[in-house]
Amino acid sequence: MMTVNFDAIVVGSGITGGFAAKELTEKGLKVLMIERGPKIEHGTGYKTETLAPWDLPFRGLGDAEQYASVYPVQSKNRHFTEFTQDHFCRDDENPYTTPAGGEFTWFRSYNLGGRSLTWGRQCYRWSDYDFGANKRDGNGTDWPIRYAELAPWYDRVEDFVGVSGAAEGMPQLPDGHFQPPMPLNVVEQHVREGISARWPGRRLTIGRTANLTQEKDGRSACQYRSICARGCSYGAYFSTQSASLPAAMKTGLLTVVTDSVVEGVDYDPVTRRATGVRFLDTAKKERHRATARLVFLNAGAFNTNHILLRSHSEAMPNGLANSSGVLGTHIMDHATTLSAIAIMPGFEQHTTFGNRPTGIVIPRFRNLETLDGNGFTRGYSFQGGALQSTWTQGKRQAGIGHGFKTHLRTPGDWKMILVTFAESMPRASNRLTLDPAKIDANGAPALNIAFAHGKEEHAALADAKAEAAAMLGAVGGQVVMGMDQPGPGGSAIHEMGGARMGLDPTTSVLDKWSRAHDVANLFVTDGAQMSSSASQNPSLTYLALTARACDAAVSMLRSGTL
Amino acid sequence: MTSFDRREMIGAGALALGVIAVPIAVLRAMRAPTDDEPSDRQKLIAQQVAQILIPRTDTPGGADVGADAFLLLALAAGLDGTRTPDGGAAIQGATARYRRPDGSLDHLTWLEEELDRKAHGDFLAAPLARQQAALDTLDGAAFANHQSTGPWPKIKGLLLTGYYTSQPGGAKELTYELVPGRFDPDLPLRPGMHAYSSDWTAVEFG
Repeated sequence: MMTVNFDAIVVGSGITGGFAAKELTEKGLKVLMIERGPKIEHGTGYKTETLAPWDLPFRGLGDAEQYASVYPVQSKNRHFTEFTQDHFCRDDENPYTTPAGGEFTWFRSYNLGGRSLTWGRQCYRWSDYDFGANKRDGNGTDWPIRYAELAPWYDRVEDFVGVSGAAEGMPQLPDGHFQPPMPLNVVEQHVREGISARWPGRRLTIGRTANLTQEKDGRSACQYRSICARGCSYGAYFSTQSASLPAAMKTGLLTVVTDSVVEGVDYDPVTRRATGVRFLDTAKKERHRATARLVFLNAGAFNTNHILLRSHSEAMPNGLANSSGVLGTHIMDHATTLSAIAIMPGFEQHTTFGNRPTGIVIPRFRNLETLDGNGFTRGYSFQGGALQSTWTQGKRQAGIGHGFKTHLRTPGDWKMILVTFAESMPRASNRLTLDPAKIDANGAPALNIAFAHGKEEHAALADAKAEAAAMLGAVGGQVVMGMDQPGPGGSAIHEMGGARMGLDPTTSVLDKWSRAHDVANLFVTDGAQMSSSASQNPSLTYLALTARACDAAVSMLRSGTL
Repeated sequence: MTSFDRREMIGAGALALGVIAVPIAVLRAMRAPTDDEPSDRQKLIAQQVAQILIPRTDTPGGADVGADAFLLLALAAGLDGTRTPDGGAAIQGATARYRRPDGSLDHLTWLEEELDRKAHGDFLAAPLARQQAALDTLDGAAFANHQSTGPWPKIKGLLLTGYYTSQPGGAKELTYELVPGRFDPDLPLRPGMHAYSSDWTAVEFG
């Protein structure tokens, strides 16, 4: 076993891990970043980026039989294709368990950059409707922070990431430091105007996205390909590879180790400090130990919980930083479903050019100043967009021969799609535990994920279906279908919680600085720290909390209070 | 022959078949042998159906680009749920007799026998007009009342996929633009403009 010493160890190289490494190295710390998966180089590592469907054996659809055995969960991700499959983990080698009848689709990327290569890139600030939600309705534990404390950190993150979007002045979705927005298409603009006229409190706006509309820091503006999950050698969307890692490497203070899975955080009960981590080089099957003055866990929300649960000791028998006993509990996702598809007549003579890599968003309008939700107290928002059909419409249509071919040659009907993301309530019964029997390829106990959406989420989705139909109908749409039942847990790929932040050490794992109540030099700044889920995509908030925690940690380190 | 360049068509078809031939061979080598390898007649039927579904115009037809070969590959690999036990709603009533021991549906045998029935005899020996009428009847029944029923929609979907994800289908019949470089949100749709095979959102949501 080899032991090496650092100022800080960052576990995980995804969206928050890469950013933590950047922040800490830029503050002068010598940092080790540990990634469990293989290295993927920016640019040269994106093997399928420029391929066409006809370059691939299965034309982009992939080998269904292989997917059934190797990627039975990952292949359910809409971004998982023959082009992107190498950016997802193998399910067969990385098992997890669920209780009978409790499906959870856990989408994961075990590679350098983690899910920053495949993420949806939607970037939304949370508001005090969100940070105050637990206190307002009494579910979960109150956040120890409010929007004003996080606002400058959102500014810092957006300035580095590069977020394009439109300022709208909506208190439920605070504006940020935006690059110029990508435009709404002709149908979306029509829907925006119609909704605003009928419902002044509702606003359709362009999705705020981590895709550049202007060059930035050596990264090109978006080329409107919308094949981001293959990897983008233009660096036009934010990822560890395109942005955080180059910045961290520039300092000369970052060491990156890949193909190495962290097996536990070492804890000294005398000093009540983390001393470092133990990790397994999965390629060489060698175990190593690294020591540091700070440990940041950014392994992805559930894997961070996994590490903490596995890091039990005589002093902390129920898992590291778990004197409260709430570690692993109150996990969340978003309840998501396709609420409406409508044909949008009247635009047959219009079309577009280019593939915009973001859709639209209609921010929450329920339960703001007034609790007006029928059976739910939180929010939901719509995402989606308008599109013009192409050849795949033919799969659902009658027709053969010349006429059919001619029909498919021409751009088809315009459709408007609204997908709902409803806030997930924090519940103690939704929790992570170590499976007592199942182990993974490295001999580690598998994670057991017990999760179910509750009546509040179902009520929100029922309301969303009705409102989606009402809005699209009001602007001339012909709604052809809509759903009100959520997909299984994990479908939103916004799994979070388990090591929640709170004021009370007896009911929460982390303090207001994303630091473990029990372990003064241990920070958790990925999705595990979340105390509620809001209805916005959470990554921007993880990043802002990461930036804030890094600053606090270094200040504490330098002031000698750690 | 239309204005389409025949050499180009053959080259494109051969290229497509060349690309496809390898994975079929690999699949057969990798997987346990089955007793339901497509017969030569079924392959010919798939070829003819591909070409009737998407005929040759100023661009190649379905069989010209190997859409039928893609269908065989896709069915062998189980794309779009075609090898799952009780493949959705497809196995109902009279189609139950095409159920394999593993519970999946033998789409090619179903297609072969169904087209013979619709053609009132040997589909392959029938005149083209009767073949077209047989397929049109089958297609119309499968999509009646705006519903997709029976095994045909899967077969049709895979043939369309084979065609429009081929280079001639994707980049000649339709337009393929890997790097648009810009986004124009509102343009007049002029006669002769082709849909984009590289509009990935539209491809996904149809």
